[in-house]
Order: sequence, then structure tokens, then C-alpha cells
Amino acid sequence: MTQLTAEYAAWLSDFLPADYYERYREYRWDITLRRDHQRAAFEAGWLQPTWPREHGGRSLGLAEAMEIRLEAATRSAPKLPNVAGPGVAAPGLRQFGTPAQIDRLLVPLLRGDEWWALGMSEPEAGSDFAGLRTRAVRDGPEGNVFRVKGRKIWTTQAHLSRWCTLYARTDPDAPKHRGISCFILDLESPGLTIEPIRMASISDETFCEVILDDVEIPAENLLGELNGGWQVAMSSLNHERQMIWIMNWVEIQRGLTTVRASQATHDDYASGEVFAELGSLLADAEALRANGYRALNNELAGLPSPEADTLKLLGSVTLQRVWELAAAAAGPRSIDDADLLFERQDALAATIYGGTSEVQRNIIAERLLGLPKG
Amino acid sequence: MDVGLNSGQLALRDSVRDVLRTECPPAIARQAMTDPERWRTVWKTVVDLGWTELARPDDDSPFGRMELAVVLEECGAALAPVPLLSSVGLAAGLLRAAGAGVADVLADIGDGVVAALAVQTPGHRLPGVPMTVAGGRVQGRAIAVPGLPRAELVVTLASSPDGPVAAVVRVGDGVSAQDVESTDPAQPVADVDIDAEPVAIAPVELESALATPLLAVAADLVGVAAAALARSVEHAKSRHQFGKPIGAFQGIKHALADNYVALERARGLTYAAAARLDDPATAPAAGWDAAALAKAAAGEAAVGCARTAVQVHGALAQTWEHDIHLYLRHAWQGCSTLGDSRALYHAVGRRFAGSAS
Repeated sequence: MTQLTAEYAAWLSDFLPADYYERYREYRWDITLRRDHQRAAFEAGWLQPTWPREHGGRSLGLAEAMEIRLEAATRSAPKLPNVAGPGVAAPGLRQFGTPAQIDRLLVPLLRGDEWWALGMSEPEAGSDFAGLRTRAVRDGPEGNVFRVKGRKIWTTQAHLSRWCTLYARTDPDAPKHRGISCFILDLESPGLTIEPIRMASISDETFCEVILDDVEIPAENLLGELNGGWQVAMSSLNHERQMIWIMNWVEIQRGLTTVRASQATHDDYASGEVFAELGSLLADAEALRANGYRALNNELAGLPSPEADTLKLLGSVTLQRVWELAAAAAGPRSIDDADLLFERQDALAATIYGGTSEVQRNIIAERLLGLPKG
Repeated sequence: MDVGLNSGQLALRDSVRDVLRTECPPAIARQAMTDPERWRTVWKTVVDLGWTELARPDDDSPFGRMELAVVLEECGAALAPVPLLSSVGLAAGLLRAAGAGVADVLADIGDGVVAALAVQTPGHRLPGVPMTVAGGRVQGRAIAVPGLPRAELVVTLASSPDGPVAAVVRVGDGVSAQDVESTDPAQPVADVDIDAEPVAIAPVELESALATPLLAVAADLVGVAAAALARSVEHAKSRHQFGKPIGAFQGIKHALADNYVALERARGLTYAAAARLDDPATAPAAGWDAAALAKAAAGEAAVGCARTAVQVHGALAQTWEHDIHLYLRHAWQGCSTLGDSRALYHAVGRRFAGSAS
């Protein structure tokens, strides 16, 4: 362990309650603890390690940041209560925001004082994100506002958030991905209706439907260029994709440990039946980590890093398999295990969010293997 | 954690690839299937270029396991019908764990003497200890010994009253090989009965001894997987049906994308295992597990990519003249060498399940 990782580990262990690991099953739902953890991580510079101190980091290199993230994962650090904020909105804001936007919004976001939602999907635009229909029309005496009408859905935690990165069509005549702009939408604006959607599982990452009925957004809230929303979205999602494999890896590690713990309670023939699948999953987990590092090393050396595009697909599928194996290994006790039910349901989302597996396969086939578009 | 190739390793890869592209197109593998002497001219090139020197593990040698993996991967991709994997990867790979007592043998292998590794006991899926040492003689039987028909030396593992040893015997008196019909006749295997005096013998730790051979097969199979996938992609771009390239259909696209994920999974594990085995701080069990997972993943990737290649090429792939069966044969044979994927996964999974949480 490097000195830096040791410093982080000591900081985390100081922060966590003494019975954190013993009572992880309860603490994982403890929003107060998770909020406190985010704020403390921001102040200590562990939240976004590559960013400067004032933005919750320590200006570390990518390799050092990866060490910290994996250490956090290995130690089951509390999950960010609003992942979309620091994970997706913040990188977009830093890259595309005006000085005034960054000055007003970034620190409250990173401290967790203001939550963010991502206004991307619509009832008719899921994987086909560029087909979105929400319209923003310039208005006002000096053209200083946009009037927005439309409908967003699967907008996680919108009902608890203050801000939303809203993607809307600003040029209906342009080819579909060139006519989209990204706005910073104040979720307290008049004309907005936000309806939480009851989830199939006990998840605290509740979906919402967001209806925009003539909502006014100041033109100064454009994030990036007018009609440059596609670039903002791609860049933010790319950032997210790099984080997703680490998130998957954490969950996979927990799943593997769960399987091992169940194994200890069985000694019949069937207990040996899980070993081959368990070994295969250990290979998946190690491959994720190895390829995460390969991609990073290639990036640092200025080389192409095609293996990075396999991480999301492999991580999400592995996550599902590990929890199915955990259920098999638990035998009938899986039936009354609410945590396991949640893990299995939550894992099924992993091949959908951040680009479905089908879209990932198209990306690999078209961009990496050079196969023609269908 | 340092996973991936540095600039020297990338240059090595490119130079090996360039040589094989001109010296060893897949047609050579097809010829080697029916002409048992065809391998010799390619082998001469390999030895002249110094690739067999990867066998020498001196402290000042620039060749670690990562370099070994890089070269074997390219030879696998080219389906090169030479005993580089069996001699330098497997036999010398095992002897790396045997200390100074086998330095002369490693020097010979480095000079191009061909050796084979006999570690498959009849009736076992995983490699182990097929021989015993008693009264100064190595005795026992091993099956499916890769490259034995081309070898002068046989390296094996034997049990002795003082624990396991690596033993080297010379092919000839007391070493009787029984040729078999190999799935991949370009890389023939044979069974062997041994009752002979060893030319070298040295104590080993079993898991350390088997780790490098496992890694070597993994690297070879990663190469086969990559080459088979490249052939599928090439065909999917040029073959038209229903008015467009078949690679434009998602049925083909997604199968090839899954191949790519399997390939990179195996490659990442192989490079990570090489880095781990080159690190003297790695414990034997951790090294064996890393190499076993790499080998299991590479076997799956190679067979997966080769099977998809058959499907993508359709009826063409059923013919002797088309190259795809060469990849498939090599992949199937490699998959059953030093433990099939399921047996290896099972061994690693069982150890993990049994370890303290």
C-alpha cells in the first residue's frame, strides 16, 4: 500500500462508526451517514482526487486517483447519496460551465448540499437519446430566456434535487444530434411537475417523471454551446463509464464474499457445484481490474485504450451473475433474504443504465471492430 | 499495479508479428499437419532470431514473463507450427522454478534444443505429478505431452521422499513415446512412459512450478482468439447478403462484440498474471491462481472466437482449404492442455470458498 492509500484508509476508518462493518446492512441505507461522508470526503480532498483542493480533490494523477477509488471500494466506503451529482453533472459542469456557473454551483454540488438529476431519457427517447422531443425555444425581449415544453422520465432523484442537466431540442431542422442543447434547470422553476415513480425494489434511487409545461430557463443557464448538448452528454457519460466499472467491481467483490459466507454453512454435494462458476466470476473481477489499469496506463502513455470500452459490458453482466450465484448458494434461505432480493434487482439495472448492453455491443462492433452501421 | 505493455514490449510484439506475417502464414500450419518435417524451417528462423533465449531466466536477462507472453501470443496468432510454446513456454517455464540445478538445461533450451513438458497424469483434468523418483530413476506415465514428437528432452514432475522435484530426461532409452492422433496435427502431442535416469533433477514448489506453464498456454490462446476474431471481422465486412455486409446485422455484430470482450478479458488476465509472476513478492498460491484464471479465460476466448468464426464463415469453414479449422483445432487442443477452463475455475473457486473471510 502506498503512503497515500494508507493516509486515505486511515482517514476513512476514522470517519466510519466503530460498528460500520458489523452493521453494514443498516448503514448502507443511512442517508445522513452518507451525506456526512460526502461532505467530509470533499473537505479532505478524497471526493474527486484528480481535482484541485477547492473542488474536493488533491490534484492527484489518474493512477493515484484509481488507487484511492479502489481502496474506497475495497473498504466499502459509504455510497454517495446522489451519484449523478459528483459522478456525471460535476465533470460536465467543470468542462463546459462558465466561470459564473462553476462559481455558483460546483461547491454546493460536491459538498452534497444541492443534489442533481440528469434530464436525458424521455418516454420516446431511451437508447435513442438523440431522438429526444423536449423543445426549448428562445424568447424574451432580448432573447435572454428559453421556454421549454416536454417530458422527461426515469429522472433519478429529481424530487430530492435542486438542479437538473436538461437536454432539449433547440434546432428542430438540424440533424438530430446537432440540434440539442444542455441547460441547467432549476427544479424550483414554475411550470414544473415532478412525480416520483414507485420502484419495484427498495432502492433509494427513485425514478421521477418530470413534466415541463412552458418552463422558463434563463439563457445564461445554457451549459456548453447552443446546439452543443450532444458533446456535453457524451463527455459526461464517458466520465461516468470510467467510474461504472469500479462501482460494479465493488458490488461484485461484495457478492463474491457473500457466496463464500454461504458456502461455509453448507457441506453437502451441491455446495461444490458452485465452485466453477465462482472461479469464473473471480476471473471476471480480476479482468475488470486488470483492464481498468491497462486502459489507464495506455491513456497515460498517449496510446489507444480500446479495452476501456469492454469494462461496462463485462462489469454489468458479471454483477448479475454473481448475485444469481449468491442466491443459488444460499439455497431456500434466498427466499426470505431482503438484502439479496435488492442486490439481484439492483444488478439487473446495470445492463440498462449508462448505455444498455445492446448499445455497448454496437459501440464495440462499430467503433473498435470497424463493422458497418446497421 | 502495472498491467499492459511498455514501449520495449510493444516493439518486441511488432517485430515478432512482422517476421511471422512473412515467414509463417496460416498455410504453413496446414502443411505441417500432413508433413511432419515442415516445422523445421520455421523453427530454424525462430532459433536464429533468438526467440528461444526467452528460456533463460538470468537475473540480468531483459526477458521476463511479460516478454514470454508477448512472443507466445504472436506465435499463437500466427498458428506457427513450432515447439516454442511446448519447449520455451512449458518445459523451460516449469524449470524457472527449479533453481540453479537446471541452469544447463535452460541454456540448452535457450540455444534451440527442443524440450517437452509431461505433467498430465492419466485420469486427471488438472496438471500434477505423474512420476516418482526412486533409486535414482524417474518412473511413470504421462499423457498428452505437447510437442513430444519433436522433443529431445522431457521435463516432468516427480514425487520423491524429500518432496516434489522437477526432473529432466533425454528422449531415447527408457523414454518411450506413443504417438497419438492430435486434434491439431500441426502441434502434435504424444503419451510417454518413463523409466530412466534423469539428466537433471531439482526440488520445486508445485504451484510455483506450474504457474509459468499455465501462463504460457494462456498467452498462446489469447493469440489464437485474437486472430480468429480478426478473420471473422474481415469476413463480416466483405461478405454481402440481403444487399449489405453481414457485419451490419446485429446478430453478427453482437456475437463478435462478445468475442472481443472475452478476448480482452483473457488478455487482461494474462498480462496481469505475467506481472504478478514477475513480482518476487507474489505467494505461490496467488501466482498459481492468477495463471490458472488467465489460462481458463484464454481457453474460453479461443474456443469462443474460433466457434463464432465457424458460424460467421458458414459452409466455407467446413472445408480443409479454408483456414478456420486450423484456428478451431489449435483452440480446442490448447483448451484441454494443462487443465480445461471449468476444472481450473473450479480449483480457484474452491480455494476462495475455503479461505477465511
